Amino acid sequence: MDQNLQAFFTMVENQDGVIVRDPPKLDLEIYIQNYKGRTRFDRLFLIGRSSVPLCVEALKAAIAEAKRGKDTHRYREAVELLRVAAPSEPEATYDQAWLEAQEASNKAETNRLLTELKGYKNNLIKESIRMGHEDLGKHMESIGDLNAAAEAYSKMRPDISTPKQFLDVGKHLVRVSIQRQEWGMVATHVGKLQYVEEDKTVEGYMKVSYGIALLGQEKYKDAASSFLAADPAIPASSYNELASPSDVAVYGGLLALASMDRDELQSSVLDNSRFRTFLEQAPHIRRAVTQFVSGRYSACISILESYRPDYLLDLYLQKHIPAIYSQIRSKCIVQYLIPFSCVSLETMEKAFGRPGQSIEDELADMIQLGALQARIDSINKLVTTRTSNPRSQMQAAALKAAENYERQALDRLRRIGLAAADLELKGGKKMGGFAAQHDFMVEETLG
Amino acid sequence: MDQLATLLLGFPPASGFASFEDYHSQAKSHNQTLDKLAVTSNFRQSAAQLLKHVDPAVNSMSHLALLNTAINTGSAPLPDLLAKVSVFLCSFDPQQIRYSGKALSSLLEWALSGSSLPASVAVDVVTTALLRLDSTGSVLTSHHVALAKLALDTDNITPALPLLDKNIVSYPGIKSTQDSRPLCSPDLPPAAYMTIETGLTKSLTSTDVLQYDLIRGLCYIQLKDWGKALDALERVVTYPARDNHSCSKIMVEAHNKWLLVGLLRTGKTPELPPTTAPGAQKAFATLGKPYHALAKAFEDGSAATLRAEFETIGPSFFSEENNLSLVHLVLQHFQRWQILNLRHVYTAVSLEQIRQRTHSAITAAPLATEEEVEQLLRQMMEDGMLRGVVERPADRPAHLRFLDDDDASSTDGGGLSEAEFARRMQAAAERLRELAPLVRATSDRLGGSREYIKYLVEQQKRELDGRGRAGTMDDVTPFMSQIEDEDLMTGVVPGY
Repeated sequence: MDQNLQAFFTMVENQDGVIVRDPPKLDLEIYIQNYKGRTRFDRLFLIGRSSVPLCVEALKAAIAEAKRGKDTHRYREAVELLRVAAPSEPEATYDQAWLEAQEASNKAETNRLLTELKGYKNNLIKESIRMGHEDLGKHMESIGDLNAAAEAYSKMRPDISTPKQFLDVGKHLVRVSIQRQEWGMVATHVGKLQYVEEDKTVEGYMKVSYGIALLGQEKYKDAASSFLAADPAIPASSYNELASPSDVAVYGGLLALASMDRDELQSSVLDNSRFRTFLEQAPHIRRAVTQFVSGRYSACISILESYRPDYLLDLYLQKHIPAIYSQIRSKCIVQYLIPFSCVSLETMEKAFGRPGQSIEDELADMIQLGALQARIDSINKLVTTRTSNPRSQMQAAALKAAENYERQALDRLRRIGLAAADLELKGGKKMGGFAAQHDFMVEETLG
Repeated sequence: MDQLATLLLGFPPASGFASFEDYHSQAKSHNQTLDKLAVTSNFRQSAAQLLKHVDPAVNSMSHLALLNTAINTGSAPLPDLLAKVSVFLCSFDPQQIRYSGKALSSLLEWALSGSSLPASVAVDVVTTALLRLDSTGSVLTSHHVALAKLALDTDNITPALPLLDKNIVSYPGIKSTQDSRPLCSPDLPPAAYMTIETGLTKSLTSTDVLQYDLIRGLCYIQLKDWGKALDALERVVTYPARDNHSCSKIMVEAHNKWLLVGLLRTGKTPELPPTTAPGAQKAFATLGKPYHALAKAFEDGSAATLRAEFETIGPSFFSEENNLSLVHLVLQHFQRWQILNLRHVYTAVSLEQIRQRTHSAITAAPLATEEEVEQLLRQMMEDGMLRGVVERPADRPAHLRFLDDDDASSTDGGGLSEAEFARRMQAAAERLRELAPLVRATSDRLGGSREYIKYLVEQQKRELDGRGRAGTMDDVTPFMSQIEDEDLMTGVVPGY
């Protein structure tokens, strides 16, 4: 690795960033064409920060993207990174002239919009005020002041007069909240959109954004259902400021794999005619799900593993990939063990083994967490699954019930006795909580 | 002197008794005679000699009077007297002695004072005497409390165990309901004669009751019988309170120990029973904070965090609270529980793995060698904590194989045999049956209480009124169903 890159990624590592060393399968240019709006920069920037092979390329693209927009802060950020990673590139130096011009024009534009808005407010024309707020919000969003943008957008609310406008406000707010990664807010705003049945395309937008919000909140199962319910007939352009259709397929498929059982996967993923259209965009996910459903768990895992670098470079998935993968993996192991009463560790190792990590420890951890009902014989290298034994459970329950009954009976008798003898604890007169009592400490004599 | 002897031997008469009522009146008058005699100088002088002629098992009342007089006057040689006291306490007639409750109490107090009888003997004979008086052991007396204290202080717990193991459900001071049966009646429940009125006990306060159970708990801790200790301390912890704010210092002390014992017994923080008084719950939460922190570290932390928690709170704190050795034991047991929890994961595990996976909370490090692990395992097996065997096959590493518990987790069909299960159920049923007399006594007492009768009368009146109006039987609610609703836990509301 280049020395500069080395230094760059040491820095990223120190900041607890994710580093992806393996080359992903995606082609950067084609990949980024799927998106529009501010998410393009976010995605490029993330790839630049995380992927070793694509670092310089992505950062350069990000800088170009930033320069096309108005957000000078982002531009600085990206250049700052490229300066560490590849100082010799021409893009690694600030374009001072552009920066100053852009900042000045941003400021002028802000002032202009504010004055305009003031004028509208004085004139008390609802529609103008709404539009003034909207323009201000859009401008603020484009220069990267998301707080102000959210504020301006939400000030549009009182002046809404048509459902279309209502939808627009909702979409603006959802978009800003997603960029700010305020997942709870996203859910609230999406919830408000639910009541409007005006526009079909909004539904796709809603499902996707709601899914992303739930994913951010680690509610994998709910997120999966949201993605799975997305309608493929809606043009991708209506939600590609958030995600592409192939993203929807990947998010939906992966999360379903992590959270659903085999029957559910079959019925709501593979047999889901709407989602099937999405899956065509990501055939490997379809393959992985099929393998899982038909019981070839190691094949499923190896497909997913080969795409791990790609998913680690995804804006929304990155943080969750380790958790999602380990859930899928432990589900595979659990499913794998179901038909057996006893499996040798060697077979398990063959099916699920990972270099440098023993399957035995992994199984032990899973059992300890209660994810797996089995026990390990680490001497004969066997895993025995635990079958429930209703007879002995019943016996234990019966004995326990009898014992409880006896205990309770005694306890009640004692309480009745104490009450009858007027020995219950009564509050002390002045000591608040404590009944006045002389100190009573028993010397410890144990051991 | 002969005349005295005749008087003393006059009860029980050779001719026997016509009825229990006859026994009752004769015994009462004999007791009065003894009281009168006790103050005469003639009696005081000859008491020591007369002891020889009065059989403790037959003429128990007379013998007791003589013993007390002899002790008070110091007229008999001490070793001889001590022997006589011991014999008497182990052989008196429990039915007859109910009439000389005061005298027996003073003898027991003297025995427990530790002034002359060696503590080990005193604990033993008083235990026997109290169990002779009340074989169910269901009534607490002032002697119980003194006995438990003596047993714990002098470390003579084992001889007192037969008494400490009993479940106490009645307490002196219950406003005596007029039991029509005479005191000597053999089917009289113990709670009816072990009373302040008969002199067999002194009145007790709630502090005494709390102390007794706390001391019991400490005794069991001393014997490392964690199950019983937990039960005993739980009785203190759940002591009923009449209001929502009171809590006693003893209860807090018991709660802290209870928490630690719970960790030793189950490896988990014990849960407060729902019957715990609300005031106590609050007090436990605030005053038991260090203990809760320790328990939390024990439950889900590593050896290092547990150790760190202990260090932060500081040994001096625990030592001030008189819990240091118990806490040390908790630290010691941490690794044992870690090993024990491995049984949920493994059926067999090598000693080396145990060594690596578990840490001692004393040193916060794994044990140094496999031998140490094995030693620990052996100790756990000896203590009955662990069911397993250490195997050392020639071709594979030494390992521990867990034997299946008889709980639901066993894999090979498991469970108890039908016969064994039936035997255990029978035993449980038997224990419940033993409770029947206690339940009956309590029920009789509650049934005869003034409050209940009042309630009953009112109920009947209402019933009659209702019938008068409606003229049907439909709206007659049996009062038992309303009794069910009444919360027995809160007892009878005074002035109902």
